[in-house]
Amino acid sequence: MKSYKALIALDLKLALRQKSVIFFNYLFPLIFFFIFGQAMHAERGAAMTMVISMVLIIGILGNGLFGAGIRAVQEREANILRRYKVTPITPAPLLVASVVTGWILYMPNVILILALAHFLYGMPWPQSMGSILVFISIAIAGFRSIGLILASVVNSMQESQLIVQLIYLPMLFLSGATFPLSMFPPWLLVITQFVPATYMVTGIQGMLLQKEGIGANLQPTLALVLTTCVGLFIGYKLFRWEKEEKIRASAKLWLAVVLAPFLLLGAWQMHTRTGIEKTKILNRQLARGDTYLIRGARIIAGNGKVMESGSVLVRGGKIAQVFEGSGPDPKSLNAEVVEAVGKTILPGLIDVHVHLGAPGGFYPDTSTYDPDKSRLRELAAYLYSGVTTVRSVGDGLDNVLQARTIVNSGEALGAELFACGPMFTAPGGHGTEYFKDLPASIRQRAERQSLRLPGSADEARQQVDQLKKDGVDCIKAILEAGAGSQVFNRLDTGIFDAVAHEAHADDLPLAVHTGDVRDVSDAVNAQADSVEHGSLREKIPDALFEQMAKQGTFYDPTLSVGEAMKDFAAGKTTLLKRSLVQQVGPPELLQGTEEAMASKDTESMRKAMSEYPIDMQIANDNLKRAQEHGVLLVTGSDAGNYLVVHGPTVQHEMQLWVQAGIPPFVALQAATYNAARLLRAEKRIGSIQPGNDADLLVVDGNPLDDITATERISLVVFKGERIDRTELFDQH
Amino acid sequence: MSATSSAISVQGLKKSYGELEAVKGIDFEIQTGEVFGLLGPNGAGKTTTVEILEGLRARSGGHVAVLGFDPDTQRQRLKDRIGVCLQATNFPEKIRVHEAMEVFASFYSRNVDLNQLLKRLQIEEKRNAFYGTLSGGQKQRLALALALVNDPQLIFLDEPTTGLDPQVRAEIHSLLEELKREHRTILLTTHYIEEAERLCDRVAIVDEGRIIALDTPARLQQQSRSASSIVVTCATPFPEPRPAWAQATESALDSSGHTLTVHSRRPAATLVDLVKWIDQQGLELTDVRLKQPSLEDVFIELTGKSLRQ
Repeated sequence: MKSYKALIALDLKLALRQKSVIFFNYLFPLIFFFIFGQAMHAERGAAMTMVISMVLIIGILGNGLFGAGIRAVQEREANILRRYKVTPITPAPLLVASVVTGWILYMPNVILILALAHFLYGMPWPQSMGSILVFISIAIAGFRSIGLILASVVNSMQESQLIVQLIYLPMLFLSGATFPLSMFPPWLLVITQFVPATYMVTGIQGMLLQKEGIGANLQPTLALVLTTCVGLFIGYKLFRWEKEEKIRASAKLWLAVVLAPFLLLGAWQMHTRTGIEKTKILNRQLARGDTYLIRGARIIAGNGKVMESGSVLVRGGKIAQVFEGSGPDPKSLNAEVVEAVGKTILPGLIDVHVHLGAPGGFYPDTSTYDPDKSRLRELAAYLYSGVTTVRSVGDGLDNVLQARTIVNSGEALGAELFACGPMFTAPGGHGTEYFKDLPASIRQRAERQSLRLPGSADEARQQVDQLKKDGVDCIKAILEAGAGSQVFNRLDTGIFDAVAHEAHADDLPLAVHTGDVRDVSDAVNAQADSVEHGSLREKIPDALFEQMAKQGTFYDPTLSVGEAMKDFAAGKTTLLKRSLVQQVGPPELLQGTEEAMASKDTESMRKAMSEYPIDMQIANDNLKRAQEHGVLLVTGSDAGNYLVVHGPTVQHEMQLWVQAGIPPFVALQAATYNAARLLRAEKRIGSIQPGNDADLLVVDGNPLDDITATERISLVVFKGERIDRTELFDQH
Repeated sequence: MSATSSAISVQGLKKSYGELEAVKGIDFEIQTGEVFGLLGPNGAGKTTTVEILEGLRARSGGHVAVLGFDPDTQRQRLKDRIGVCLQATNFPEKIRVHEAMEVFASFYSRNVDLNQLLKRLQIEEKRNAFYGTLSGGQKQRLALALALVNDPQLIFLDEPTTGLDPQVRAEIHSLLEELKREHRTILLTTHYIEEAERLCDRVAIVDEGRIIALDTPARLQQQSRSASSIVVTCATPFPEPRPAWAQATESALDSSGHTLTVHSRRPAATLVDLVKWIDQQGLELTDVRLKQPSLEDVFIELTGKSLRQ
């Protein structure tokens, strides 16, 4: 022990007497820190985490490869180690002292950088400070070990320089330590997963940004520990005291052994892609971390408040503050300025009724239709249109939950997703008709994913409970006997009540599809949270609306789908020609739908649709009276149905409402704050107030005067990120 | 331990590197308190032998006991008890003298007072100096000091004065004599014959992996087959012809004709006869010198090689 202590003390003293050590350990990172800090606007928040991780990794790489590796070779080449050889010590204290010294030398630098970030750039102290320090310590040990094993397999100074560069440069450039990973094409991202330094970059960023602990970085942590142990062991076994002792060239393969944990990790990541996902998510977090002030705009807060001229400060993905007028000096806020005079800031719009599994039209060649990609593209289309949140009320369970994970984690950009998963209906009930023509093999799986056909109240309860476990956000049930050309088995009232009861017990909002007054009545009596569609063919009695208002039942009239069905029956495609639809719709879908509508193939479908009773007068009247009775209104489009293309749905639904006589102000509140309440997320989304997610839609003009202003999109902000809308569709 | 008085005991020591037999069976004993010199040209097997004794290399055969330890199996314990002063070692430029002393002291279970040691080696005033600023002599004294931090009973000195100027060499020699007076056992390898003559109780001459001679320096010289030589110089040139003096083997005159070298197996008898002859010739004798065969001569005679080959 005595020798360990003495060697550590000596190594430290010698290191501190060397100008190059001081320069590379302390000055060099600081220079980078300030250069990166200024260049990347670290004072605005998120970039700071990138700066810190870059600077720290550059430091750790240098500390390990040059500080431990090159130095160990120098000591051997200069005949310094030779003298130790005749003393009773083994290589162990020399190796351990090198690792410990590297750590002691480096840690003050870590603290210094974090302190500078805090005091100069206003970065909050990281919550997972302990984890960060432990992780960095392990990283230093790992890289010191790589340096030491490197020293033990080279035969000369020149060789060591060469090999160090061979390791150093890729680690520097392929890990995100110098070029942000967000710049990397997908194939290069795969390669980064084999580079140990990548895990340090993403690990430190994850801890800074997402408050991750060591636990979330267990794989790289274990790999680094393994590298340290294997490195020290092999370094011990191959230790040479004298330059005259040469080692065979094949010994360099030991380097591969030390890096093997990361090769395995890389291979594993290629398989699971979790590392790449994490990288994308971190990049998203970084993009979401900016600080800026959108100023001088009209603010419709969504929750009833309107400010004729105000400013919204976005910081760290949240609405930090709302100011009257143009707000304080943006410099004092460390904020970039986004001028928005003459524009209107709204909360991001919410569509509470969509089906991601249906495209809203026809693809000319169904083989080009990939439902998995399609779902994400649809969610991107919503985001493009300023619809920042959607609720899926009937989709294949696994697929929709997967899509939810991808967009809600930030791995891909798309509207925030809430999902009911499958729909509860009766055998032969509404909802089953979409599957009945499928081949038996696909059909079984599709039905299992998309439908729940409980045969008893007990089974219904079990199914609801199971969905709760699966992690759905809501329960969708269908009460519909059909009419005209389309007649369905209606869900048994007892079973429906069981579904409703269990959904309440499980604290899941219940959305009920209704067709006629009886359906609405049953839904309201079962304490449904939302009545979806209401009725497009029967007048809903005032008493029922009164009951809904009293109970707080939300009314989602889905005028869009009613209009679309009428258009479909009439062969009209004007809905496809809306500008935003043209912008977001996949061209082959729009073209395919136009062609299908013009062709004889869909004639029978159109005929069937025309025989289905829809009366927009009644639908409009129901909505108007619901509003008059003070029923909570929400906007749903039923997108996915023919001619209701995913994207700018809420804008059109609101236009239909305004045409039906609903004041724009009411429609806007329904599309934002009310919808958020139905999703039970009003504390986070649906209104512009401090602490909420920064989901904003900035439009030209005043939607209170002209609801179509909501289509004149100037800027979409999603979780603090100013969305580059033109690039949204490139990510798939 | 074979005997309490034996510090090193080597019997039938062999070492091969693959095909190459570097040491081909060596036997010797070094008594406690003895200064033992190992002489030999480069590649003779001298370094290999010493490294085996120091526990740095495993032997291929034979029995070795160093301070009673087997250097192969009791390596750490042996290293803890010996002091080693290697040739061509180095220290970081920026290490201070006392730091080097302290860190090396930390490797051993037993330490001497480091300040005393520095004082004794006359580098006390340099205790805070960086290694890089020391002169060659000071560096060598530090190297000796480091070999003594654990108060070793047995010291290995590998070419301790190579490359030093004569004055520093003399200083080191007096230090080594001091160690000798303290009855420490010293195994010295050297190129300098005078060093071996001056310091060693016994000398082994190693060549091609074998000991070809082992005795005190004086006895080795006596055993030499070489003749001593008598060199006489006169004020006037020597006359020709010269007689055969008693016991003289041959004689040669230098180019000036004033200096005559006479070789003899019994120089005392020859000298008497020679001086008598000079007196008879009426020559004025200005100088007489008697040259005994040196260890170097012995070495060359035995190995056919120069030590510095």
